Amino acid sequence: MAKFITIGERIHCISPAIREAMNTMNPEPILKRAKEQLDAGATYLDVNIGPAESNGPQLMQWAVKLLQENFDNVPLALDTANKAAIEAGIAVYNRAKGKPIVNSADAGDRISNIDLAAANDAIVIALCSAEGIAADNDERMMHCQNMLERGLGLGMEAEDLWFDPLFLVVKGMQDKQMDVLEAIKMFSDMGLNTTGGLSNNSNGMPKHIRPIMDSALVAMCMMQGLTSAIVNPCDTRLMETIKSCDIFKNNTLYADSYLEI
Amino acid sequence: MPFAKKPQVFNASINELTIGTGDKAVTLGGQNVYNLYTFDAPIANRPKVGLEISDNGCDIPAALFAGVDCPVERAKKAAALDCVDFLCIRFDGADPNGENKSVEECVELAKKIADTVDKPLVIAGCKNIEKDSELFTKMSEALQGKNILILSAKEENYKGVAASAGLAYGQKVGAESAVDINLAKQLNVLITQMGVNGKNVAMNVGSAAAGYGFEYVASTMERVKAAALGQNDAALQMPIVTPVGAEAWSVKEAMASAEDMPEWGDQETRGIAMEVETAAACLAYGSDAVILKHPSSAETIARLIAALM
Repeated sequence: MAKFITIGERIHCISPAIREAMNTMNPEPILKRAKEQLDAGATYLDVNIGPAESNGPQLMQWAVKLLQENFDNVPLALDTANKAAIEAGIAVYNRAKGKPIVNSADAGDRISNIDLAAANDAIVIALCSAEGIAADNDERMMHCQNMLERGLGLGMEAEDLWFDPLFLVVKGMQDKQMDVLEAIKMFSDMGLNTTGGLSNNSNGMPKHIRPIMDSALVAMCMMQGLTSAIVNPCDTRLMETIKSCDIFKNNTLYADSYLEI
Repeated sequence: MPFAKKPQVFNASINELTIGTGDKAVTLGGQNVYNLYTFDAPIANRPKVGLEISDNGCDIPAALFAGVDCPVERAKKAAALDCVDFLCIRFDGADPNGENKSVEECVELAKKIADTVDKPLVIAGCKNIEKDSELFTKMSEALQGKNILILSAKEENYKGVAASAGLAYGQKVGAESAVDINLAKQLNVLITQMGVNGKNVAMNVGSAAAGYGFEYVASTMERVKAAALGQNDAALQMPIVTPVGAEAWSVKEAMASAEDMPEWGDQETRGIAMEVETAAACLAYGSDAVILKHPSSAETIARLIAALM
């Protein structure tokens, strides 16, 4: 089995420092966040430029080149609602360390992002929802089937569609958490890759609680077969949990220093 | 339905490690398939064969070395064999519980051999941790530029050995563990954390003569290669160098004389058989180089490798 893949979520235009850096095309804050995440063990980095309606393509190309040139062609997830920006980013993307990820498609009005990924030989995150959160796993699996068929029909490999069950916030949707875990098991039983914004579960919780909730959830998800997650890799407890679960799953070989590598 | 062959080619590969210099330098590893699996993908660097010379006398029956007391002369004879890719000089005589030769004396001998033969050199110690640490430091310094492989850094002395051989003098470092897969990985991690480039490290994950717990060796080697290739584990992508001769020639099947065991037949033939069987199994399970003691074993294993490539 392959090692769990972490996608670092900290280059996000919702952060004031990053938004400012993107507005002024100032490399330093972005490089700093990238380095922190890679040092902490992230495999992929997510690059969220927001809607970027005015200069999306230009901004995404700048960010992709900036990160890949400075960090040995680090693989990236291109995260924006602006399709032209994603395509522009892929055009300058170096695949030496892994295909680009299109973040993201869903089964509703963003389904054409699957077409975009297929046309550009990219991975796509396929969010199993359409208009609003899926009511139950029947609906999740229906969305999954639709997106899988669309991708395969366009010549994609199944392994390049990473299904996202849509992690739900505990405060408000506590009774739906086991559904999400069950959905991961169903994807896994179909041999599909999976990912998602795992920390969504702990939204609104006190800061010191979140790493505990996130770590417990990632362990349960990995047991269910989750293959990847979009996380804050600078959360030490979470990363230690992921590395330990990789040992139990025999995804990596144990050595006393396993937490350091 | 026609049979569709699906080659098992990995997106990871074993590191290439070169020892020696010039035309005779040899490169170990580099493959992105399991050992000897040339039917999955071409293997650029075939497994290599080393011959071991002790600084003491030759302790096995081998006509080539019979009556040749001088280790330099034996090294010359060994290096002249086409089937031999590199030499391993083992300093048994340095053992404080044995002849206790001084480090200076050992270094002098190594320099003489290095000046005489042009094939790559592997330097092995006397298995005394303290003496070996000192020996390896001085060897690494004296043979700077010869690109030797030091066998080896162990859990107890890796800091000193890796610092001198790997960092100060630019030699190749062998990391030795005794059939313990987790320690094999851990040692590589520790050595690379010191700043030694993992591409300059080889592994000796331990050995045993065939029939003497070899199944543990086999499963260790198999698991190392599976992690290196299948899980792209950079801490295990170092090529494996296995000293086979020392193990094979220390079991009763190889040591008992024909007088003691007439029903077992000729001792030399038995020893070679033990050595060849063990080496062939090591190559199949994961060794990228084997170190042998008998010239006939080296010849046989070299032919086996050539036939399989």
